[in-house]
Amino acid sequence: MSSFTERRPKGTIVSKDKNCKQVVPNYKDLEHLRKFLSAHAQIVSRKRSGYCSQCQKQLKLAIKHARHIGLLPFVG
Amino acid sequence: MFLLDNQVVREDWKSAKGLVAETLQKHGAKLRTLRRWDERKLAYPMSGRKRATYFLGYFEIGVAELPALRRELDLSEKVLRHLILGCEAVPETENELAAAELAEGFTIPAPPPDDAPEPKREEERPAFEDTIEVPDLNDLEEIR
Repeated sequence: MSSFTERRPKGTIVSKDKNCKQVVPNYKDLEHLRKFLSAHAQIVSRKRSGYCSQCQKQLKLAIKHARHIGLLPFVG
Repeated sequence: MFLLDNQVVREDWKSAKGLVAETLQKHGAKLRTLRRWDERKLAYPMSGRKRATYFLGYFEIGVAELPALRRELDLSEKVLRHLILGCEAVPETENELAAAELAEGFTIPAPPPDDAPEPKREEERPAFEDTIEVPDLNDLEEIR
């Protein structure tokens, strides 16, 4: 409960799920990243990815980096 | 990561690599590794190109020099896109791969034409069995 109410310094991202040990793929790891895209190349929700809040943010960033460099599509 | 036009790589891939290295060094970057990552079809066309070559580099640069470097890369017609991210340390595999590329006799295949289909990557397929068991037709008739 304290993790939800505790005030953190601005700009830091702290996982609320202390037990989250999932590995977020790198932007170059395309095979892994494609698993988190829908048929229309949209990023899947946390409900489907199973990631915690912090990991989902990292995943989103990795997919957006891959899209910028032309490795993944913006639309399917 | 730097995305280079295949036309530049077709002329000479080492000069294309040198182009990136020179740009980085011009802005005071200390280059650790730089290697050709891959040549592949783009997820969407960029500047009329459907294929391009990726170069992956690790370098140290001051915060003050970074905007000028980004500006130059943005204006360059040979560099289609670039992605500069922070990194704690250079991966060990990168040093090995970059060293392998510097070895004599290392060549890369010429980039295919822009409309060429994506080359199929060799995958391990399960070996088919030589003998296939065919059900006896007489048994089937008995069942009927």
